Amino acid sequence: MDATSASAGAAAAVKADAPMTDGKPRTAVLRMEGIVKRFGAFQALSDVSLELFAGEVHCLLGENGAGKSTLCNVMFGVHQPDAGSMWLDGAPYEPHSPRDALTHGIAMVHQHFSLVEDVSVLDNLLLGQVRGWLDRKREAQRVRALVAELGLALDPDARVAELSVGEKQRVEIVKCLIREPRLLVLDEPTAVLLPAEIDALLDTCARVVARGCAVVLVTHKLAEIRRIANRATVLQSGRVVARSSTPSADVDALVRAMIQRPGNAEQEAVSTTTATATPRSTTRSASPYARPLADEALQIDGLTVRDADGVTRLEDCTLVVNRGEIVGIAGVEGNGQSELGAVLAGMQKASAGRFFVQGADCTQAAPQTLTKAGVGVVPEDRHAVGCVPDMSLTENLFLNRLDDYARHGFMQRRAMRRDARALMQRFDVRAASPDVAFRGLSGGNQQKAVLARELTLDGLAVLIAAQPTRGLDVGAVAAVYDHIRAARDEGVGVLLISSELDELMAVADRVLVMYRGRIMGTCVPDASQLNLQRERIGAWMAGQTA
Amino acid sequence: MTPTTSSSSFPRAAWRGSRRVRTAAVLGGAALVAIAAALALIAIVHVPLGDALAAFADGAWGSPYAIGASINRSLVFALVGSGFVLANRAQLTNVGGEGQIAMGGIVATAVSLYGHVAHLPFGLAFIVPMLAAALAGAAWGALPGWLKVRAGTNEVISTLLLTFIAVWFLYWCVQSEALLRQPMSNAATLPESLEIPDSTKLPLLASAISTGLHIGLPITLVLCVAVALVLTYSRFGMHLRAVGLNALAARRAGMPITSTIVGALALAGALGGLAGALMLQGEQYSLKAGFSSGYGFDGLVVGLLARSSITGVCAAALLFGFMRSGGINMEMVASVPSALVLVAQGIVIVALAGGSLWLEPKGARS
Amino acid sequence: MNAEFAAVFVGSSIRFAAPLMLASTGELISERAGVLNMSVEGMMLSGAFLGAAGAWATGNAALGLAIGMLGVLPIALLQAFLSVTLRANQIVTGIGINILALGATTLAYRELFGERSSAVIPGLARWSPPGLGAIPVIGEPVFHQVWLVYLGVAILLATSLVMRRTALGVALHAVGAAPRSVDQSGLSVTRLRYGAVLFSGVMSGAAGCFISIGDIHTFTEGMTSGAGYLAIAAIIFGNWKIGRTVGACLLFGAASALQFQLPLIGVHVPTALLVMLPYLLALIAVAGLIGRQTAPLALTQPFRR
Repeated sequence: MDATSASAGAAAAVKADAPMTDGKPRTAVLRMEGIVKRFGAFQALSDVSLELFAGEVHCLLGENGAGKSTLCNVMFGVHQPDAGSMWLDGAPYEPHSPRDALTHGIAMVHQHFSLVEDVSVLDNLLLGQVRGWLDRKREAQRVRALVAELGLALDPDARVAELSVGEKQRVEIVKCLIREPRLLVLDEPTAVLLPAEIDALLDTCARVVARGCAVVLVTHKLAEIRRIANRATVLQSGRVVARSSTPSADVDALVRAMIQRPGNAEQEAVSTTTATATPRSTTRSASPYARPLADEALQIDGLTVRDADGVTRLEDCTLVVNRGEIVGIAGVEGNGQSELGAVLAGMQKASAGRFFVQGADCTQAAPQTLTKAGVGVVPEDRHAVGCVPDMSLTENLFLNRLDDYARHGFMQRRAMRRDARALMQRFDVRAASPDVAFRGLSGGNQQKAVLARELTLDGLAVLIAAQPTRGLDVGAVAAVYDHIRAARDEGVGVLLISSELDELMAVADRVLVMYRGRIMGTCVPDASQLNLQRERIGAWMAGQTA
Repeated sequence: MTPTTSSSSFPRAAWRGSRRVRTAAVLGGAALVAIAAALALIAIVHVPLGDALAAFADGAWGSPYAIGASINRSLVFALVGSGFVLANRAQLTNVGGEGQIAMGGIVATAVSLYGHVAHLPFGLAFIVPMLAAALAGAAWGALPGWLKVRAGTNEVISTLLLTFIAVWFLYWCVQSEALLRQPMSNAATLPESLEIPDSTKLPLLASAISTGLHIGLPITLVLCVAVALVLTYSRFGMHLRAVGLNALAARRAGMPITSTIVGALALAGALGGLAGALMLQGEQYSLKAGFSSGYGFDGLVVGLLARSSITGVCAAALLFGFMRSGGINMEMVASVPSALVLVAQGIVIVALAGGSLWLEPKGARS
Repeated sequence: MNAEFAAVFVGSSIRFAAPLMLASTGELISERAGVLNMSVEGMMLSGAFLGAAGAWATGNAALGLAIGMLGVLPIALLQAFLSVTLRANQIVTGIGINILALGATTLAYRELFGERSSAVIPGLARWSPPGLGAIPVIGEPVFHQVWLVYLGVAILLATSLVMRRTALGVALHAVGAAPRSVDQSGLSVTRLRYGAVLFSGVMSGAAGCFISIGDIHTFTEGMTSGAGYLAIAAIIFGNWKIGRTVGACLLFGAASALQFQLPLIGVHVPTALLVMLPYLLALIAVAGLIGRQTAPLALTQPFRR
């Protein structure tokens, strides 16, 4: 395997020399050379080269923001490269739209589904596939045949809005396979799947390549690809930093290539990405309190949430977060964590049950009341709920306490700016000035700003952090957990909701597992039993109660 | 595709770099097209260009009285436009200016004629009807706001529907003797209300009697300044911005969403209602069918043109005020249909809206 | 109140509902595809004028209708260009086009016909389906309508069929609900939306022609007086479903018909109130008082890849 060590410095990665030692040379289905893509001032891809062969699963690895999605969008014609060229079966290939890519036999399943919700699966599959009058019965039969051949379970007549996330993804995949593509690109398909669904997906990939197709699987989780990858390419900050034609053997080297710098942060990132055991005692800092304070910071009692269609998303949730402890909630996204977070933030009404903050019943409380009661929230969708991206950094830092700076209804902007600078200093939020638009900050700095706002609330007793490290690079991840631990050390009760199991195991004092809206079990992370615990948690995450 | 370098020509670089340059270019372009179209239309209706332009100039600024009339007209536009800009700060589009003017006019008439205010001292005789009109306009604006919050109703549709309802309500009021119609002497009299008492008419500005300017001018100026201050410096202004840019985050941050939305539209409506009172008590002195006659939509256009700045509102309002006076005179004297002004307005709106692609600040993606 | 009176009322309602039905058939498709055309009013007015002028110039009402329907296409093209290609605010551009159309048709009318014209404008003939028109008492008032009404019904049925049973229908529905899925399937979002807006334009033109050469056989300035907005209101009332929209149009038509029917039975309701009634009904619908509204998800949102 060839890998370059990404030693000191951020973008110091050297372009890997990558001979494919396969025995005999083959024509690549798709060859990309020197691809460059910029979005304004942001360099998404620099000089990326890649070769994809038929009958192989090629894994594209990298942290969030490494450029994997952009590269796939270039393949699929969504974006046009600023420099570089592509060849399809040896012939020049320059798609100007997805339609071009599709006519050339390249299909893509995106991370965010684009399905028409209020019609049937069949109507979604037929889009662009048929002309003229529709014979729905005959088309449904054809779909059933195809789906059986692929070993997938899918009902053409089901209404898309009623499908689970895994089933919707299956629709997206079948949408691609119906066209019998030569290259299938899957962008982070496993992010929303259960372990069992992930197995099914990898199975499908195997069947697809057996038919002669080439598959590109984009992921930042190595554990899954060990089973299926024939080749792997690692991207970091828009550059290729490593390649391998024997990925399962080279896992450790690939991981090292993915992350930026050694140190504590690396340990946690390593444990995130390899899903392997990491001795936890060296990195985990125990709470300075001998045992958590007796006060209950947050008490949830029988909380139930039913959505607009009557589907129960959260069922009878009961848990306690004491002051000075971090309680983690593990589980694949979509199992009720979002609803739990929304109710605790005052953004959604519970259908039944109650929750108490420091003994006060806050079940029906509006967000403002919750803030006054001492609840800080780092929401899972930072841009949708956590900030107003087009307002300035200063305004976002004090978004929930504007009243503090209002005199006779008018804002004291100078005081706000002064305090903003202090917060920026304290939480290491890097920006040109407090008056820049929030949108212009990097993901990591944005999250630090949100943390700064929530952690400096007057009388903070509970911090709800939902998916706090999503989309962040390793350095930012470390900073986020440093701040969360600091809050815990000062007596705040932290409820940490995350789908990154390894981060939870490294940071939380207790881990609860959610599946389909119910809590399946609790576990106190213990270095000596890590593997066993992970197995048990994995079973819970998949819904097994034993 | 080769990467772009900075070796592009100066105009292109200026276009790309500065929003001010782009705005000026698009506004200028729109104005030029509209003027060109107007001139072409004047030619098409076979009116000598000189005559038409002379009549226009005469009507717009040809005499102190003409100037006064133009400015009085622009007060209405400025109020409606300011209301539009205020609501727009929260991404609310108030299209109901016309209806709010109508409701304001109706209530001002009713209070002036039958509210026993004619004998009140200290100017209350004309102030009370104005306040009542503003309240009526506020209610007419608050309703769509409340519908938006409760039912998610698109305020463009609801304010528009309420406009039609208000206009026809006004028609009914002046048609029906039981309501506001003056007692008929014979069947040929046009439907209109009695003339309002002298004490309820807006007093003229002492220093400029010959212009016919009335007290509405200082009132409007003060209100425009107030709106500008509120938008830029007040907490309510921040709430408006936050709710407009990201209502979910505003809710999570504890901002009062309902009162912000309802308040924004109510304030816009109040300004519209006040504009109606100015029209009644300052100029027309009795309520006639067709009272609002497009002033509300003109105010809407003024608000759109101003691109969120109150100074822009005042400038555009003056422009439209003079244009309307000029247009009316052009029709009376030179027989150029005032529909020409509509065409020019339509072109300007379409050109500006179409050019918005280039007017938005870079990076502000929806 | 007897059968004849009721029949006249029904026939009158159909007459008032017809332009709404024609316009909303087209606009419904446009909105299902994600584009809101506030300019229906302006396109109807332009169609009314072009139809009247065309009929007068050629002496043939049917030709006038054709001119009215096709002559609106440039305006619809402008609206499509603004909404889809330039991604402008759909509401603002719609209102702008309405103002432009009002001014332009007024000017053009005065230029062609003078201020108060007594020009004879040929009108569209009436027709009734064989048999139905012969029914005693109710046949004539109810079924003897301008033939454009029946053409409109036919187009309505065809539209409904296309939306339900063809690939085009699936694509149009998808482009208003999830345009990205359409883009990724290789179809062109732009082409679909342009087509929908042009269809809306043609149907609005037909609606305008109904008012001018179908009903009154003349043109007056601003004669549509809000009918375009009523058509949009009918779609909202109908929750973006074809059947319910037509029902809404009939309801609004009945409200207008009451204006003329009520005085005949001695009930004196002020005209203004009856004119106001459809708008009031639309407001009630829009307020969600008759059920939850399910607009196409991508309505008014321009598509950017």
